[in-house]
Amino acid sequence: MSLAFLYPLYLYGLVTALIPTLIHLLNRRRLQKIRFPAVRFILLSQRRISRTYRLRHWFLLALRTLAVLFLVLLLAHPIFQTGVGLSAGSGPTSFVVILDNSLSMKWSQGGEGFGKAKEALRRLVSASRDEDRMALVPTNGGETAGLRLTGPKELVARLDALELSGGTANFSLALNKAYELLKEPAAQKEIWLITDMALTGWDEFALASLSQYAPSIPIKVIKVTSREEPLNATVKEVKIRSQGVAVGLPIDLEAPVVNFTDKKIDNLLVQLYLDREKLDQKLVSLPPQGELSVRFQFRTRKPGPHQGHVTLQAAGLAGNPTVHFSLLAQDKLKLMIVDGDPKTSLVLSETFFLTRALNPSGAEDSSLFLPVVVIPESLNSATLDSYQAVILCNVPAIPDSFVPRLRDYLVRGGGLILFLGDRVQSDDYHRKLLQISPSILPGRLTERKAISVPEGERIARINTSHPILANLADRLLKESLLSTRVRSYFRVDSQNSAVLLTLANGDPFLIEKKIGAGRVLLVTTTADRDWSDLPLKTAYVPLVQSMASYLSRTEAGLFDAGITVGASKGFSLSPAYAGKKLTILKPDGKTKEIDLTPQGEKLTASFQENDLPGIYRVSLPTLPAASTGIPELYAVNPPFLESRLKAIREEELLAKLRPIRADVIPLESLEKGGRKLDLALPLIFLIMATLVTEGWLAQRIHG
Amino acid sequence: METKRVNGEKNYFDPLVLARLSNLYLRARWVVEGIMSGIHRSRSKGFSVEFEEHREYSPGDELRRVDWKALGKFDRYFIKETEDETNLRAYLLMDASGSMDYGSGGITKFDYGCTLTAALAYLILRQQDAAGLVTFSHRVESLIPPKAKRGHLMEIVRALEECRPGGDTHIGGMLEEIAGKMKRRGLVVLVSDLLDEPEEVLKGLRLFRFKGNDVIVFHLLDIAELELPFEGNVLFEDLEEANLKVTADPQSIRKAYQSVIGEFTDRLRKECQQSSIDYQLLSTATPLDQALVSYLNWRG
Repeated sequence: MSLAFLYPLYLYGLVTALIPTLIHLLNRRRLQKIRFPAVRFILLSQRRISRTYRLRHWFLLALRTLAVLFLVLLLAHPIFQTGVGLSAGSGPTSFVVILDNSLSMKWSQGGEGFGKAKEALRRLVSASRDEDRMALVPTNGGETAGLRLTGPKELVARLDALELSGGTANFSLALNKAYELLKEPAAQKEIWLITDMALTGWDEFALASLSQYAPSIPIKVIKVTSREEPLNATVKEVKIRSQGVAVGLPIDLEAPVVNFTDKKIDNLLVQLYLDREKLDQKLVSLPPQGELSVRFQFRTRKPGPHQGHVTLQAAGLAGNPTVHFSLLAQDKLKLMIVDGDPKTSLVLSETFFLTRALNPSGAEDSSLFLPVVVIPESLNSATLDSYQAVILCNVPAIPDSFVPRLRDYLVRGGGLILFLGDRVQSDDYHRKLLQISPSILPGRLTERKAISVPEGERIARINTSHPILANLADRLLKESLLSTRVRSYFRVDSQNSAVLLTLANGDPFLIEKKIGAGRVLLVTTTADRDWSDLPLKTAYVPLVQSMASYLSRTEAGLFDAGITVGASKGFSLSPAYAGKKLTILKPDGKTKEIDLTPQGEKLTASFQENDLPGIYRVSLPTLPAASTGIPELYAVNPPFLESRLKAIREEELLAKLRPIRADVIPLESLEKGGRKLDLALPLIFLIMATLVTEGWLAQRIHG
Repeated sequence: METKRVNGEKNYFDPLVLARLSNLYLRARWVVEGIMSGIHRSRSKGFSVEFEEHREYSPGDELRRVDWKALGKFDRYFIKETEDETNLRAYLLMDASGSMDYGSGGITKFDYGCTLTAALAYLILRQQDAAGLVTFSHRVESLIPPKAKRGHLMEIVRALEECRPGGDTHIGGMLEEIAGKMKRRGLVVLVSDLLDEPEEVLKGLRLFRFKGNDVIVFHLLDIAELELPFEGNVLFEDLEEANLKVTADPQSIRKAYQSVIGEFTDRLRKECQQSSIDYQLLSTATPLDQALVSYLNWRG
């Protein structure tokens, strides 16, 4: 119920209600003095009529004041509204309905809030008049650029099409649009804001963020809230604790689950899905306002992109229950390690430290790398294509039949690591690996140098800009690497090859050479501790693994927790894809195409319409995205705090909107609809009745 | 105030017309002669004639009034002045308290009362009755014993003219005091506004009756006192008690006031009637002949 006035400015005239009282007071002050003999009879008369007389006088004064009040009210033309309806004025009304379609509305009023709000809005609009103009502005998404004030039909059509978004409400944007639309002249203007008043959206709102507003246009905030506090919990995020994501390797996934309510939530089922298949589930109890990390361990069975999600299940649960993620499982890196100095004791073997570095536990499922140790004689029959890289450790001479296969393998994109040693015949290496076209050896082995001082030679320079060594930028690893003592090594004339590690005397320690699509890395010392103490250093394992990963032809494993709804997703591609369009398949099955625009040496694209939570699939028309170097899948999740259903207090909301005149009304009032009652006629009757009573009473008093 | 007209002629008993005559004697005579002109003279007949004084003879005096014995003693002619003994002794009691000095229409109650008293004295003396005067406020201002001689009127008139209204009213007490001073019974005529406690007033009047007097009360009130015709908010200050003030809206209390004053006069009328006292309520707008007619009615 509300009372509205057509001409509220007249209400300032209410001060004229003081006039009868002022006249009364002035009259009391203006006295005529008369000397009179029968004063005691006057006193007697007054005493006799005193009570009635005073009552009548006050009643008369009240009637006169009322008459003035009623007259002023009549001029202001009051309209009484039962329930809640459109502005009660008689002139055409322009109103903008801002409907909060943020994700939190999904759980308001037991999950029916958004639907109820739409239904109530439909009824409200159906009660509007033909001359009324209106518009619907959602808080999230929706094209508002061309939006104009229209009739009720257009608004209802727009309302029917409006869906919940997965993001946080942007009230600033919506209010800006509303005030822009209401610039058109109209007898009356109103803004209706239907919201669950979720704290997250309103926390981000400040009146100062509006580029325009009019305090005279009232805002009616329709509150869509539940009477009882629901079970309100959500998955905060998903993250992995494992080093890599590869086929068969265990992936430790952690999902913190948050309870927003003040009561304990028991038997909350947390489930992990990968590629729509449930992998694991756990039953947890969440303390009030508490957070609990739920951990899963799983393995992927095949390489490539995977999509997954962690979801909560409990009766009556409100809040986002599902968090999506994507991952790119790297295939196992199968490495051929050629031991040029095999020994009966593994520890003494040339490849002992190397194989331990690549697979520390020795178990097949514990490492990304799958090292296969062979002897040099095996090279004649080895199938190189089944390996991501070949590592030669102190191999004396390269078999003749192996050289062309190795060269082709490298040109096609294979990788080769050469560790030298006392058995290496430099002439053979020069002849078979250097003096061929294209040459494989990164440089000429000029001499074998033994450091005479006991502490040996140190590594002095690290090219940390190189992908292999970028991972060793950590201070501890770096110090570990720099503390390596090299007692013997081959001096190498690196020529045009890149030197990644350099000894203190300036001699190269690690050299890289590119051959076709492949790469060759040359370490000028041994893979074991015969010539240096590098295998004993902390940096040895990451260095070796980084070198092996670098040379492999497969993409690195990747876990992606995704982006937030509403955020943009950027892509960067090779210029070779110029003129093509990137296709995005959204969770709702709709596809969108985006243009690639040149930016420097790359082509870039940005996708903005990440408005739905779920998995988005990226592709070029003819190619899978993965082959283009961009992720084939990515996840979009609602903002974590959007699941927090705590509502802003009414006083705080009104304070945020001040000086705009705002009222907070429950949705139930809107559902009941409204009926208008023009109070002008009753007021006329009241004025007449008051005046008649006043006249009669005045006659009685004054005779 | 417009002079009242009777049958198209000016009413010469109108108090306002009379007020133009500065001489109280003339006023009294005007009234009385006006009334008596249409009435057959009924001379009062006393049962004895008492000697009063001698005076020298002057031409024109009746010879039968010459005192022959005095001629024998003094060899000069003396006329024997006698006082007719009358069967009526009238005491005219004139209230001269402060409250009588009020008049809303050009004539005060005191002026009206003086004219009335003088006219009554004239009338009484003209009828060979004896008339005396007592003027009083909170004390007896003047006291002239009743006499029937012609020159006595001038004495009464002079006393009235010299009297100035003022002071508080204690009519009840004053009536008791005057009653104590009266040695012979007769007619007591009280001209007053009676603005005192009715019980006290009636007690005094009943004392006169107890002593065998006939009592006529002319209750004299101003028309404004009877009707309270004022408008707007008024601060009323009492004429006698300086501290007695009251603010009132006359319009709103008029009815109540008229009711109170009506109850006051009604009570006096009833009580007087019960005590065989003639009570006549007069307003200052009442023509004086009416007042005298009421006296003549009593006189029969």
